[in-house]
Amino acid sequence: MKGIKKNRAWLLVIPFYFYTIIFVILPLAYMILLSFLRRAEIWGVTKEFTLDNYKNIFEPVYLNTFVESLKLALLCTTFIVFLGYPFGYFMAKLSEKWKNRVVTLLMIPFWTSALIRMYGWIIIFRSNGLMDRFFMAIHLTEKPLRLLYTYPAVVVGMIYALLPFMILSVYSSVEKLDWSLIEAARDLGASSVHAFFTITLKLTMPGLLSGIVLTFIPSMGLFFVADILGGNKIVLVGNLIQEQLMKARNWPFAAALSVVLTILTSLILTLYRKVAKVRELEGLF
Amino acid sequence: MKNRTKIPNMFLIIILVIMYLPILVIIVYSFNASKISTVWEGVSLRWYQELFRDRSMMEAVRNSLILAGLSCINAAIIGTMAAVGMMRISWKSKGMIAYFSTIPIMIPEIILGMVFMVFFSFLGLPFGMVTLVLAHTAFCIPYVFTMVRSRLIGMDVSLEEAARDLGAGEIKVFFTITLPLIAPAIVSGMLLSFAMSFDDVVISIFVTGATTNTLPVKIYTQMKNGVSPEINALSTIMLLGTILVIGGSEVIRRKR
Amino acid sequence: MKIWKKKKRIMTIVIGGILASMLLVGCGNKQETSSGQEEEKIGGELNLFTWDGMFPREVLSEFEEEYGVQINYANFDFDEDMLAKLETAKGGDYDVIIADDYIIELAIQEGLVQKLDTEKISNLGNVDQAFQGQFYDPTNEYSVPYGAGIPLIVYDPNVIDIEITGYADLWNPALKDNLALIGNYRVVNGIVLKTMGKSFNETDLEVLEESGKKLKELAPNVRLISDSNTQDYLISGEAAAGFLYTSQVTLALAARPELKVVYPKEGLGFGIMAMFMPSQAPHAEAGKAFINFILRPEISARCFEYIGYVCTNREAVPYLSEEMQKNLALPKEAADGEFIMEIGSAANEVHERIWTEFKAELD
Repeated sequence: MKGIKKNRAWLLVIPFYFYTIIFVILPLAYMILLSFLRRAEIWGVTKEFTLDNYKNIFEPVYLNTFVESLKLALLCTTFIVFLGYPFGYFMAKLSEKWKNRVVTLLMIPFWTSALIRMYGWIIIFRSNGLMDRFFMAIHLTEKPLRLLYTYPAVVVGMIYALLPFMILSVYSSVEKLDWSLIEAARDLGASSVHAFFTITLKLTMPGLLSGIVLTFIPSMGLFFVADILGGNKIVLVGNLIQEQLMKARNWPFAAALSVVLTILTSLILTLYRKVAKVRELEGLF
Repeated sequence: MKNRTKIPNMFLIIILVIMYLPILVIIVYSFNASKISTVWEGVSLRWYQELFRDRSMMEAVRNSLILAGLSCINAAIIGTMAAVGMMRISWKSKGMIAYFSTIPIMIPEIILGMVFMVFFSFLGLPFGMVTLVLAHTAFCIPYVFTMVRSRLIGMDVSLEEAARDLGAGEIKVFFTITLPLIAPAIVSGMLLSFAMSFDDVVISIFVTGATTNTLPVKIYTQMKNGVSPEINALSTIMLLGTILVIGGSEVIRRKR
Repeated sequence: MKIWKKKKRIMTIVIGGILASMLLVGCGNKQETSSGQEEEKIGGELNLFTWDGMFPREVLSEFEEEYGVQINYANFDFDEDMLAKLETAKGGDYDVIIADDYIIELAIQEGLVQKLDTEKISNLGNVDQAFQGQFYDPTNEYSVPYGAGIPLIVYDPNVIDIEITGYADLWNPALKDNLALIGNYRVVNGIVLKTMGKSFNETDLEVLEESGKKLKELAPNVRLISDSNTQDYLISGEAAAGFLYTSQVTLALAARPELKVVYPKEGLGFGIMAMFMPSQAPHAEAGKAFINFILRPEISARCFEYIGYVCTNREAVPYLSEEMQKNLALPKEAADGEFIMEIGSAANEVHERIWTEFKAELD
C-alpha cells in the first residue's frame, strides 16, 4: 500500500523536477560554460577555453566594484534593520484590524511599477524639486541642495525599494512570538529592555536574519536604482554586468562576473542557514 | 503610559507617509497639464485621454496581465504539486532540487535574463509570449512552493490520516482536506507571483519578442526618453484598481 | 556608437510658430494621401524594431490607415541588444529595424540583412548623397539613412564664466560639478583622445591607457552621466554644461535658446542611424511600403522635426520649419567628422576598463 502511495507522490514532483532542471540548472550550467570561453574579436564568442575572464575580475578596478557593492549593500541593510525591525515589531503589536490594514498598505506600492516609484523620488530630489523647495521654505538653506545623483540618493532609493521585505519578515516572526514568555520574564523582575534583548530579539532572530538576506542580496543587483538616482556615477556589480552584456558585448566576462556573484550569494545563504538553523527563509516564504 | 503607545504609532505613520510620498507625487503629476514634469501648468485630464488613445500602451497592459496571470497559475500548479509531493518522497535529490528551484529569486535578475535569452535561442524557441511565460514561471514557482511547503510543515497531519482511515481515497483526501488547509498559502503565493511578474523589467527585456511588449518594458524604454505623463496616469489608474480590488475583497469578507 | 540614441517629442516643447508650420505640413500630407496610392492596401502586420520614440504617433497611424497594416512597435535599449535579438531570430521576426551605423555593418556581415528592393522603394532617390556610401554599407544596397548626428558641447553662458571652444575646456575648474555627459564610453573616451590629437578609433593600447588617466582628471567636473534625456538636466539647471547627442542638443536649444552650442575645435564625431530589413522579414511587402512611406518628403520632414536629428532626406528640407532647417542642417564642420568604428576586442576591453575606473572616480 505504502509503495503505491509513494509512486503517486513521485508523479506530483515530476513537473517541478523537470522545470527546475530544464529552466534553472541547465541555463546556469550554460552560464558557467560561457564564463570559460573567449569572446570573439567583434561579435559573439569563440569556442576557445580560457581563464582570462576570471583573471580579469582581479583587476583592481573590478575587484573594487565588488567591494563597493558590498559596502553599499551593508550600509543599506544596516539602515533597513534599524527602520524595519521596529516597524515590524510595533506593527505586530497593533490590533488585528490595524495589522491587516498596515499589511495592505505595505503591499499596495508593490502594484505600481518599481521604476515609477523611483521616478517619484527624482521629482522630490532634483534641484528646485519638492525637497529643495521645502528646505528653502523653512529657511534651512538658501540655494538648491543638489540632492539628486549623489550617494545618499542611491541609499535612500535602495532602502525604499527593500524596506518592505524586512518589515514583512520581522513582522511574521514577531507575530508568532509567544508573549507569555516575555510576561513571565517581566514577572520575574526583568526590565522591559532586558526582556527585549534576552527573549524577544532572540526569538525573532530568524525573521531578522531572513530580512537581512532578503535585502542584502538584491541590493547588490539593483542596478536601475544606481542608474536612475545615482546619475550613473556609482558602479555596482549589477551595473557592471549589465554594461558588459549590453554595451561592451563581453558576454563571457559578464558570465564570469555572474558566476562570482552567484557564488557570493550562495555563501551568504549558506551562512544564513548555519546561523539561523533553518532551511527556509522565514517571513515572505 | 499613554506616550508608550503613541511613539510606536508615530513611527509607523511616519514611515508609511514616506513610503507613499513618491507615489503621491506621481498621482499629483498625472494631472499636470505640462509635458515636462519640472513645470506645473495647472490641472488637466489630458494624459488620461492620451493614455486611452494609445493603442500600443493598452496592448502592453493586456500582455502584462496575460503574462502575469498565466505565470502565476503555472507556478501555482507546479509549485503546489511539488510541495505536496515533496512531503511524501524521500529522494536524496529533493533538498538539492528545492535549493536550485529558489535560485531564480536569489540571484540578480540580470543574470537570469541573460541566461534565459541565450538558452532559449539555443533551444530555438521563438521569442514572444511563450518564452516570457516560461521565464516568469521559473521565478514564480519558488514563491508558491516555499509558501505552501511552510504551511504543510506546520500542518496537522492527523486530519489527513483520519480521513484516510475512514476510507477516503488519496485524491479525495487532497481535495477535501489538504487543499482547503493550504489554500491561503497558495493564494498568497500566487498574489506575490502575480505582482512580481507584472512588475518585472529585467528578465522580460531579454526574452520578449517582436510583437509582445509588456508594460514594464514599455515604461523602462520610455523612461530613457523621459517618462511621458501618460505613465503617471497609468500608474494612478493601476493604483486605484488595486485599492478597489483590495477594498472590494475586504467588503465581501466582512459580509460573510 | 549610440550617438543618435536620444530623440524626443520636440513638437510639444517647441513653441507656436513651429506648431503652425506643422499643421501646414499635416494638411499637405492629407492631400497627398487622397490623390496617391489609394489602391495599395497591403493588409496584415508590420513589426518595427527600434528605440522608443523614433516616430510621431500620427505618422505611424497614417501609414496604418493608408496601407491597412497594423504596426507592432517593439523597442530595444542598445544596438547590441537588437543584434542579439535579431541573431536569435535568425533574421526573422522583424520587418524594419532602425539602428546605428556600426551595428548595421555587423548585421550585414552576419548575413542578417536583405538587399533593398529599389523598385518598390522608389523614394530612395530622396536621400542626400552626403550620407550615402558610408563605411557600414558602401554600396547603399542594404540600408537607408534615417538621421545623422554629431555629439556637441552645450553650455549656459550665465553660469559658466569661461568661453568653451573645444573638448579641452571641459577640464577647466570653472565647470566643477556642472557637466552632464552622455553614457557612451567610446564617444566620451573618444573626446579625450581628440584632445590628445588622436582619433576616435585609436587602437594603440598605450595611448588608450594614457587617455584613461586624463579622463579620470575630468571626474571633479562631472555632475552626472546619462544616456537618456541628458538635455533635461541642462534645461532644469541640474547641470550647466553638457556633452550631448544631436537630438538632445536640438531639444535643449528649443527649450532654452540662450544656451550656447560649441562645435569643438579638436574635430567632431559623426554617425548615422539607418533603416534596414532583416533577411527573413516576415512581412516584406509591408516593410518595403513602410520605408518608402517614411522617405516621402513631407512625412520625412515631420519625423525629423520630431526626432531632432540632422536631416538626411534632401527632398524633406523644404518641408521643415525655418527654425528647424537651421537646427537640422548638416553643419560645415561635420565634413571632417569621424565615424566611430569597430576597433577590436583588445582595445574595446581597455576602453571598458578605463570607463569603469573613471566612474569609480566619481561620486
